[in-house]
This record gives sequence, structure tokens and C-alpha cells, in this order.
Amino acid sequence: MSELQLSGTTVSRGAGPVVSGVDLVLREGEILALVGPNGAGKTSLLESVSGVIPHSAGDISVDGRSMAKWGRVQRARAGIAHIEQGRAIFPSLTVRENLLLTAKNDAGVQEVLASFPELEKRIDAQSALLSGGEQQMVVLARAFASKPRFLLIDEMSLGLAPVVFMRLLPLIQQIASTGVGVLLVEQFTHLALGIADEAMVLASGRVSHAQGPAQALEEDPELLRRAYLGG
Amino acid sequence: MLLANRSLRVALPFVVAVLALGVGWALSVGLSGYVVYLAISMVTATIAILGLGIVTGSAGIIALCQLTFGAIGAWIVSWLNVSHAPGGFIVWLVAGGIGAGVAGVIIGLPALRLRGVNLAVVTLGFAAAFDVLLVQTQFPGQADGAQIERPAMFSSDRQFFFFAIIVLVICALGVFLLQRSRIGSSWKAVAFSERGTAAVGQSVSAAKLSAFAVSAALGGVSGGLLAGQVGIPYASSFTPIQSLALYILAIMSGAYLIDMAIFGGILWVLVPELLKRWGVPQDWGFVVFGVLGIQALTSGSNLGEAIRSGIRKRAKRRSAGAADPGSVTTSVLDVFAVPEAEEPIPADAPPVLEVRGLGVQFGALKALDDVSLRVRPRSIMGLIGPNGAGKSTFVDAVSGFLPQHTGAVELDGADISRLSPVSRARRGLRRTFQQDRVPPQLTVEAYVRFVARRALDRDELADALAFLGCPPPEEQLANVDVGTRRLIEVAAAVLSGPRVLILDEPAAGLSHEEHLQFGQRLTRIPSRFDTAIVIIEHDLDLVRTVCTELTVLDFGRVLAQGEAGSVLEDPAVVAAYMGDAEVTQ
Amino acid sequence: MNGGALLQGALSGLAAGGVYAVFAVTLTLMSRLVRVVNFAQAATGMFAAFISVWFASKLGIPVWLATIAGVVVGALLSALIGWIAATWLAEADLSTRSAMTVAPFLLLMSLSYIMFGNKPQPFAPIFDGAAFSVAGVVVSWVTVVTVSLAILVALAAAIVLRKTTIGTKLRALSDRPTTAELIGIASKPLSIGVWAVTGAVSAVTVLIIAPTQSNDAVSLSMLIIPAAAAALLGGFKRLDLAVVGGLLLGLVGGMVAQVSELTLVRSFVPLVFIVVLLLWSQRKAVWDAAR
Repeated sequence: MSELQLSGTTVSRGAGPVVSGVDLVLREGEILALVGPNGAGKTSLLESVSGVIPHSAGDISVDGRSMAKWGRVQRARAGIAHIEQGRAIFPSLTVRENLLLTAKNDAGVQEVLASFPELEKRIDAQSALLSGGEQQMVVLARAFASKPRFLLIDEMSLGLAPVVFMRLLPLIQQIASTGVGVLLVEQFTHLALGIADEAMVLASGRVSHAQGPAQALEEDPELLRRAYLGG
Repeated sequence: MLLANRSLRVALPFVVAVLALGVGWALSVGLSGYVVYLAISMVTATIAILGLGIVTGSAGIIALCQLTFGAIGAWIVSWLNVSHAPGGFIVWLVAGGIGAGVAGVIIGLPALRLRGVNLAVVTLGFAAAFDVLLVQTQFPGQADGAQIERPAMFSSDRQFFFFAIIVLVICALGVFLLQRSRIGSSWKAVAFSERGTAAVGQSVSAAKLSAFAVSAALGGVSGGLLAGQVGIPYASSFTPIQSLALYILAIMSGAYLIDMAIFGGILWVLVPELLKRWGVPQDWGFVVFGVLGIQALTSGSNLGEAIRSGIRKRAKRRSAGAADPGSVTTSVLDVFAVPEAEEPIPADAPPVLEVRGLGVQFGALKALDDVSLRVRPRSIMGLIGPNGAGKSTFVDAVSGFLPQHTGAVELDGADISRLSPVSRARRGLRRTFQQDRVPPQLTVEAYVRFVARRALDRDELADALAFLGCPPPEEQLANVDVGTRRLIEVAAAVLSGPRVLILDEPAAGLSHEEHLQFGQRLTRIPSRFDTAIVIIEHDLDLVRTVCTELTVLDFGRVLAQGEAGSVLEDPAVVAAYMGDAEVTQ
Repeated sequence: MNGGALLQGALSGLAAGGVYAVFAVTLTLMSRLVRVVNFAQAATGMFAAFISVWFASKLGIPVWLATIAGVVVGALLSALIGWIAATWLAEADLSTRSAMTVAPFLLLMSLSYIMFGNKPQPFAPIFDGAAFSVAGVVVSWVTVVTVSLAILVALAAAIVLRKTTIGTKLRALSDRPTTAELIGIASKPLSIGVWAVTGAVSAVTVLIIAPTQSNDAVSLSMLIIPAAAAALLGGFKRLDLAVVGGLLLGLVGGMVAQVSELTLVRSFVPLVFIVVLLLWSQRKAVWDAAR
């Protein structure tokens, strides 16, 4: 079984470490929710996995092979897909063109549309003109079309109304059910825990609650409150 | 010993200047006739590069028309010569410098809106157009072969070389003193960040235009000298391609450093001369400059900085272990404990900052909607909220960077809603930035004095720095990590004695332990400096220990407001932080 | 001076306008796709064209073959500069990348002095003579060819960007470079490819126009100024406006040349164009950073 593993991963930015010594294991078909307050270092951690920024200590590996020396493109081709914070669409491209970048051909686009039927009617619209929710759907579909093994999602809900975001959740679950490991960073903590198999909390760059069943955190509000608000 | 050091610091540049004059005189006597002539070229090039160093190095502008300013200076000198203007060469030279300086301000005017590559296009366009004009019209007196009259005392080449050295020494001394002054600091600050410059009360326009004026004036003086050297100037001495080469030379040598400008001047003359001796066509000189320029521009480094950091490293290695910097801190903390017994603020004192109904709209998005708050004198208010709640927009609006905001901002009862960021800062409303806005070219001391905008006792300065855990005044900011730079930014803003200080995530780059230590020190600032603080912070442990009052923003609106402890217990606030605010409703 | 002279001036200016337009299109493409304002753009074309002349006149290679060789040299030279930018300045901002191109600009000009001297080059005209005349005003072949070339290059670029996979990838890279890499688009070979193509186009352009105008190294390299002015009309983004800007600038320049009172300020036309357009487009850019 293939897995994405972080062991003692440390990420530095400017002054010093923004993430230190994180251990986690992401398995195929599993959703791991990574939650924590603003500035905890979640985004930096995801960026170090996909190669946007380098990690400074520890290791990041896929199936036991270290990715430390790999560039972004090589990691993408090894099956790491990263949905960045904000709207990661290519605004000047149509929806179809966005999908073609990873689906390679029209058949691939059709295949993806089967899982994202809502995009069908907007397929030739310029993606900049779509609503926020539709744009995030395009981004999910584009990532799915690349047939990733691991999907890193960074705060898809940013700037979306919660009801809109809730429509995206089943799509994420659906992607995971095809055997993709999903690392989910999300500000809507309870929504994220609701669809996750496992969860961990990051605060001030450190793991404040180690990886474990998501249910445990969900059912213990005091544990979660402390991890977030301190005190 | 310290006192002696300080007076040495004042006297040293003048001593160096006198020594340089002596060396110049000796060279003017000792060098061979041919070399003296080359040496004059070296001096004129040095003055032009010195000027270029100000805009390219200090003010960070791509200026590709330095020799055009030289041509303007030469043109004015020739014209005054032909029209037999009174005063002789020295007065004409000054007039040339002033004329070029005025042209520099005119070319600099677009720079108030244009930056980077746009400005490069403008300056290159100016150089190209002026070159064509110059070839068409020629210099005054060029057609009649009217020689420019050198000053009577300096009529031979040897004497004129000494004259050029005098001019160079005056220019270099002037540039050195300017670089060390507020104006020089403003050039370096504006190069790094315009917002950061305005936020400390320095006019961005004044900084940019003064850089252009001084730079162009030096170009004009250089051109005027060249006119005196050759007798009849030609357009071929001031072509755009030479301006390009000069720009590259300035970049790769680091010409904002005076010694490196001199080094650049030497290279300018030496490289083609050596090539000539070796029988290589002189045009290879520009090829060499081109290759070195690619290296410098891709690596972002220059020779001057490389040499200096090498020397600094050596010095550091030698003095390592000699001093223990940690020992200052405790004693300083004790000193700071005393003045806190100032009279207390009465409970009914009017607020020092009052914001009423503040609104900011970006297109269809209401980034801030009807936000009101009152900050009492010497209090610390925390401004918290989830990502995208509008905290930084609030700081931008209150500090004047979003002039389209609605609602009112009052400082000490006076409405400042229509004022620019610069005048708000000067009235005592200071802010710091989430991004690094501390110009790395300055020393800690120069930066703090620039930001404080008032006379500071050196001990006061050193104490305040040590108090907040900052490096000593003489440290170069480039050697300080970003997290510590943010602390220096806070210390400098505090030393300006503001009425209200707004801190936007000041401790973001620090470790958790440093974070808490910073918080403890922060609590003592209001009473010590009679300052109220508004702080944006995401570490709620820090907020809990530092802030007396809290305002919570969510989706651009005030979610909760009041005494810190009770606000943090508010279920709505907890829910907002978990991202559950609207889900649960 | 009369209306006829003005018209003749305008039309003769159109030939130059076509050249400005081609370079403006390449500048716009570069700025959009590889985040650079390439100061060495015209200098690259100049150097490649000089090499081509040298091949023909000194080595006796047939003109058509020398022309092709020159175009290849233009592409390679430009690709080399692009490789430097993509290797060492991959994450740098547009200004830093553009400032870097000042160095190859200087280098190519000086190299051309060394190799070919600073005299105009003996170009064998590829297109010569009058094509047709309108209302008694002569339109030369060069005018027809340069204007067509400008339109052709702009159209071809637009079609490639719209209709091909590579075009889609390039637009994706230009929209969000990091995101494009994260979905597996290798940016370096694509960017270097863009550099190479614009280098080749520059070489072709100079080869066409050099026989009919002052073709010394400086005049040719400095075509970058009116080209930048034209590209600015489209904000370094729109190809159609870049073409219009080039042609317009050529027409105005040609007309100004007919008015003897304006001889001295003629060379300032592109500069005024640049300053006015820039100040208009940047009127809201009060600050250097968005936040």
C-alpha cells in the first residue's frame, strides 16, 4: 500500500522554523484533516510537500523514496497534487482548457465531467467568470483529472459561503473513495473533521495533537478548544 | 573612549578628504602627461558613477540616461563659454550641475508613478532622443572650434587634474554626508518600500525627486568637467550605449559606496586602456562589462558588498567571545521599571484614537463594514479575528493607505480621515507592517533615527533597542534576520513617541518563547512612552497576557468588543475561530 | 508643406511603423509569457542580421541560406539569454529580469562593433521598390511587407495561444507560474522556447528592413524604444493594440518628419508617447506594493 510520509519535517522561512518536527502518514484512500489556528504553519507544511518551498530538516517521502531533491514538476508527476489557497484556477483559460492541462485529451475531460456533472454546462466559459464555488470545483476536477495518488487541499473554503463549501465536501470524499490520499487543511474545523478519517492539530508550528482518529477530536470539544485557543 | 569614537566619526570623513586632496596633488605632479589626461577621465567617470549610485543603488531605480545629464552639463558649460558668461569655468560648472539637476527632477517626475522597468524604458527613451538631438544641433561653439576656457589657476592638464580632484573630493564628501543624513536614509527606505517610507512620515515624492536631482546634478558636473578637459565636447562622449555601460558598472561595483564608485571610475578608464596596450580592440571593454553585468544582475550581489561582508566576517571572527551582549538586558529592564509610576489615566479620559463607522469597499466586496472602536490612552487593545476578517485592511484604512474609506478616524479628538499616511504618521499615528518593511541597506541606528524623526540620545536609543531584545545600534540591518527586523521596526516606532502605535503581527517571525518574552516587554511600553497600542496578533496566549481590551473582527464586521477575558470566553468568538460561526447558525 | 506631403510622409512612416509593430508584438509576448521586458530584443535581431550579412559577403554563402542561418542565430542567442533568466532569475520579479537584459544589450552592441565595425552593413535588399501607388502617393514593398509581417506575427501568436496545447500551457504559466508547475507543466523549456521564437522573429524583421534604412548597430538596437512605446499602448498585454500602437507611431513620426519646424523634436515623439501612456495607465499606482 502506498503512503506519503513526513518524518520530523521542519520548514524554515526567513527568521527561523515556521514548522518544526512534524510526523504524519497519509495513506491511499484516506482523508487526513490538518487543523489549527491562523499562522500555525499549515500552508507552509503543504508547500514543502509539493515543493513550492524546500523543507530544512527531516524528510518527506513517497513509498519510502525521499522526495527531498525533487522539483515541483517531478513531484507532480509522482502523483502529488496540491490545491493552493485562494482560487488556483487559470483565469484566462476556459473550464475545458483548465481540465485539458491535466486530462490530456477530450476523453479524459469527459471522464472527469462524469464525476463533476455541474461543470458540464459551463465547460466553455472563461473560468474567471465563474462563481467562487464553481471555480473551486474546476480546481478539484483539474486535480482529479491528473489521477493523483495524494491530494493536498489548502483552505478551499476561503471566501466561500459555508453552504457553497458544503457542496464541495462530497466531491472531496468521492475523490478519496477512488483511492486518493487527501491531506485536508481547512478553517471550517468541524466540517473538515466530519469527512476525515484521521486528524491532527498544528499550533505555532508544532504538532499540538498527534495524528489519530478524527472522531476523537470531534467528540471532545474541550480538547479542540485548547489546541486552538490555548489557555 | 566612546566619546572619542564619536568625534572621530564626525572628523574622519574630513580627514580623509584632506588626505585625498594631498594624494591628488602629489599625483598631479608625479604622473606622466599621458596618464594625467587619462586620470581626468577617471575622475569625471567617477563623479558620474557616484551620481548613478544614488538612484540605482540607494533609491533602487533603473536609470539608463546618466551621460545624458552629463551632456546637459557639458552643453551648459559650452554655452556659457561661448556667450562669455561672467564667473568663469567654476561658476559655469556649478550652473551645469544645477541645470542637469533640474532636468533630473523633470525626468524624475514620472517616477512618482512609474517604477522598475517602466522607468527604465523612459530613461532609455530620453537618452536615445537626446542623443539624436545632440548629433543634430551639436554643442554650442563646436562648429567654430571654440575651446572652453579652463580656470586660470588650472589651465594645464596637470593643474586641471588637480582641479578635477578637488571637485571629486567635494562631491564625494557631499554624497557621503547626504548618505549619512535623513535624506540618504530616505533614499534607501524608498528603494525598499514606498509604503514603509510613507508610514514613518517621510514624503515618498521628496525622497525620489531629491535622489534624481542629486544624481543628475553629479552627472552634469561630470559632463561639465569633461567639457573642460577636452575643450570641445562632442555627442560621441555621451551616447546611450555608454550610459548603459555606466549603469552596469554602477550595479556590479555597488556604486552607492563611495570607494566602489572610485573603483568603477578606475575600471571605466583602465579596462579599455589595458586592452589597447595588449592590442585588443577597445570595444571588448564593454563586452567585459556586459558579461560581468550579467553575473551581477543574476546574482543580485555586487563587488562592494562582497568585499565589505568579507571584512565584517573576519572582524567578527576575531572579536568572537570577547563581549557578552546578554549582560545589558537585565540592567536595562531595571531602568525601565522606574518611570512607570507616572500619574494614572483617569477612567473618563477621552480616547486617544476613535474610529467611527469605518467602511472599506473593494468592488463588490465589503472588506470592512461599520467598524467602530475607541482606544484609551496608554492602553493595549488587541485586534483579532480569523483569516480574511479585515484586520490588515483596518490598519491600512486607519493609517491612511486607503483614502476611499468611509467613516471617521480621530486622533486626540482631531479628525484625520482626510489626511495622507505621511501627515497621519507625523501627527503621531504610527503603524508597523506584516511584511518586512525595514530597509536592509541601513544600520540599525540610522534606521531608528530615520523612523523616530526626532533627536535621540545615543543611550536612549541603545537602551530601547536592548529592552526589546534588538541587536546593537551599529549592526547592519542586512545581517539581521527578518523576525528581529520586525522587532527593530517596533522599537523605532516606539522611539518616535507616537500617540497611537498599531502593530500588525509584530512577533510573527519569532519562536514561541521569544514571542511570550516580547509580549511581556510590550506591556511596559505604554506607560514608559505614553503611547497607546493596537496590536494584531494570532497567538491568543500572547493576546491574553498583553491586551486589556479586545476587538474581534469577522467578515469585516465587529463580532465582539470589550474586556479581554470575557471576549475570549464568548461562544461566538470561539465559533468564529473554529470557522463554525455561520455553519452552526 | 501641403496635405500631399503629409500623406506621403505618413505612408513612408508606415514602413517604420510596421517594424515598431513587430517588435512591439514580440515585447508583448515576452512580457506576458515570460515576465520580461527584453531590452536586448532589437539588438538580438540586429546582431543576427549582421551575422547573416557576414555569412553572405565574407563566406560567400548564398543569400537565402545566410538568411536562414541568421534567423537560427537570432533564435539561439535569444534562447541563451532566456536560459540565463530561467536558470538564475526564475523567481525574480519583472523588473529584475528586465534589468538583466540591459547587459546582453550592451554586450551585443559592443560585439557587433568589434566584429563588423560601426558602419552600416551591406545588406542585400530582399524586398525592393514600389509596390503600388495610392492617389499619387507611392507605397513601397517594404511597407507592405513589414505591416503584413506585424499583423501576421500577431495573428499567428494569437492562434497558437488560443488553439494549441502549448499555447494553453503558456497561458497557464503566464496566469499562475507556480500553480502551473504544481500540475506538472515544466516551465523552463517552454519559456526558453518563447525566447527563441521571438529572437527568430526579431532577426527576420531586421533582415527585411535593414537594407532600406540606416542600418548601423545603434539605430537598429534602439528600435526597442519606439517598440516599447507601441507595446505600452496595449499595456504589454494586448497584441492587437501593440500593432495599432506601432503603426500609429510610424504614421505620426512620418508626418512630423515632413514639418521642418519639428525636425529637432522628432526623436522625442516615442518618448512623449511612452510618458503619456505610462502616466495614464499607472495613474492609480500610488504605491509600489498592493498592500
